[in-house]
Amino acid sequence: MSVLEENIKVVEGLTMFLGKKNVLESRVPRARRAFVSVPREKLIDAVKYLRDEEGIKHVSTISGVDTGEGLEVVYHLRKPDLSISVKVRAPYDDPVVPSITGVLEGAILYEREIYDMVGVKAEGHPDLKRLILDYDWPDGVHPLRKEWDIQSLRKRVDGTEWGRK
Amino acid sequence: MALLTWARTRSPWLIHFNAGACNACDIEVLAALTPRYDLERFGALLKGTPRHADVMVVSGSVPRKVRDRLKRIYEQMPEPKFVVAVGSCAITGGVFQDCYNVLEGVDKVIPVNAYIPGCPPKPEAILDGVVKLLKSVGY
Amino acid sequence: MSEREFIVPVGPQHPALKEPANFMFKVDGEVVVDVEPRVGYNHRGIEKAMEARTYLQNLYIVERVCGICSNAHQTCYTQCVEEVLGMEIPERAKYLRVFMQELERIHSHLLWLGVAAHEIGFDTLFYYIWRDREVVMDLLESVSGNRVNYAMPTIGGVRRDLEEANFPNYHKMLDTLKERTEYYIGVCSSEKTILERAIGVGYLSKEDAIRLSAVGPNARCSGVSCDTRHDLPYLVYDEIPWNVIVETNGDVLGQVLVRVKETLESVKICKYVLDNLPQGPIKEKYSPLGKVPEGEAVSIVEAQRGELIHYLQSRGDNKPYRYKIRAPTLGNIPSLVERLKGGYIADIPIVLAGIDPCFSCTDRMAFVDEGKDRRWEMTEEELRRYGIRWYEK
Repeated sequence: MSVLEENIKVVEGLTMFLGKKNVLESRVPRARRAFVSVPREKLIDAVKYLRDEEGIKHVSTISGVDTGEGLEVVYHLRKPDLSISVKVRAPYDDPVVPSITGVLEGAILYEREIYDMVGVKAEGHPDLKRLILDYDWPDGVHPLRKEWDIQSLRKRVDGTEWGRK
Repeated sequence: MALLTWARTRSPWLIHFNAGACNACDIEVLAALTPRYDLERFGALLKGTPRHADVMVVSGSVPRKVRDRLKRIYEQMPEPKFVVAVGSCAITGGVFQDCYNVLEGVDKVIPVNAYIPGCPPKPEAILDGVVKLLKSVGY
Repeated sequence: MSEREFIVPVGPQHPALKEPANFMFKVDGEVVVDVEPRVGYNHRGIEKAMEARTYLQNLYIVERVCGICSNAHQTCYTQCVEEVLGMEIPERAKYLRVFMQELERIHSHLLWLGVAAHEIGFDTLFYYIWRDREVVMDLLESVSGNRVNYAMPTIGGVRRDLEEANFPNYHKMLDTLKERTEYYIGVCSSEKTILERAIGVGYLSKEDAIRLSAVGPNARCSGVSCDTRHDLPYLVYDEIPWNVIVETNGDVLGQVLVRVKETLESVKICKYVLDNLPQGPIKEKYSPLGKVPEGEAVSIVEAQRGELIHYLQSRGDNKPYRYKIRAPTLGNIPSLVERLKGGYIADIPIVLAGIDPCFSCTDRMAFVDEGKDRRWEMTEEELRRYGIRWYEK
């Protein structure tokens, strides 16, 4: 079986396990890459399935995206010959996702990073606090949200405005 | 007094501080101390503590978190002290101008005596900059 | 566990380069009990800045995420953008990108080896290695025009070509590097000063390395066979004969052996590229203000320190909508914490240096005795000397 066929089987297995209505999007654009979208309530089940049945134990990173209509969190997981990205969505007024540190411990710092940068709380994280931003950075200002651009961020945080002269 | 100046400029002890740089300038500063370029023939020694240093070599675009540390290290150096800003980031912010977390230039935090431009400057340029600084002081 | 617990903040500054970071060590006597890493001293807001610049402008910001892995970041970035564009680059460009990447790996590992020698007090070795490293710097300068930040990969291929007339010279330089690296393997495996500070220090088991998602030589020295060049082959790594280096020691000696042997593999790959470089163009056409169609891509590359991942979401214009970069050191911090636990304070510098971090240890270390309410400070120089004296006993 070629690598591409094996990758498709992984995605199909996940779809069958969660049920078709719980896999909102799934595609395997080429060998060794897969993208699936699941509702946030099913995230832990999906990650547990991938860990136990497919041996996917490595967390590459977690990306937080502000889509304009809400927040999206993409979990990039890996086993040796497949990089699978699991996406979940959360609305602006309830930016919470379940923490996967109980299933994959390697996610511990990445969930702190998305909390800092995009404002998504990972519920159940053992030690959720800032990772990157300054100690006296104002609360509630998450730089990667689209409501901020660089000038408005500087004004809000530093009180200064910068202009290229 | 002239004797003191003579002694000081003949053996400038350096301390290097990375104020949020990408490391390119730092490895060129270190390369300037290695056998091929050999900054040590000017009497320059890289020390690990600001309390023994005459010249502070700073690289980096100074993100907010580093600002206080930079000031503190500068204050811990005994007089007379000099600061050399190495690399475009330390002079004006370099490629990181117009980024929300970056102060453009080390001279917004501490006074700077010499600027060595480049991204990163070659070790020869760093040697040239340090020698120019020493000459201006009375080498 | 005694009632007194010391907290040792190891702040941002290091006499031998690297980025700043801060570690709070909880110690009990001489043994490290727990570590809290605090990063962010180097946060320049790159991901936000990239959203405001065109794809070609971003090429030069991405290069300066890290000066030692600059080529790896550019390779990963161009791959990501080319995947969304649906662009296939010419064969010659692929081989040239591999050549630059492996040269950068050689320079980075030699740099690390020198710094590690400096950390244990072996300054002579540090100067020897950095003198020999100048050979690869000359090679890099001859190929790309600059010693650091070479800007060779560009969207569509590579920026500059190699000249055949230089190849015999390049072969000679690569042979020198091979000979010197083999000498250093001999030194590192037999020199008592090194072995004493490296064997059994900073141990990480294979299960812990997998559990904590360790990457790169940090994981490979603990027996985990994971190398992106082999598992998710990109460019032409599946056409070139080379080996994944895995050691099972799990300690600092394992780190040293993995990196030095990888340097030899890189020399082998470079020589193969020089001998088998296909003819042809080096670049596809890409207009500087060109729009990238809507889509997303994940690009994974084996940088010097481990798995480097970039993620791009594009919405169809000429600036990225979201660009995410995760550098390998962030992935190695949980396993670093595990390595430090249970070790001595004297081992902190070498274990920290051992994972080849892209941030620095300190010069400013304050020791706080919570029970006695005492504080005193130690400089990095003194901590390193402390470590050397500790092992002399």
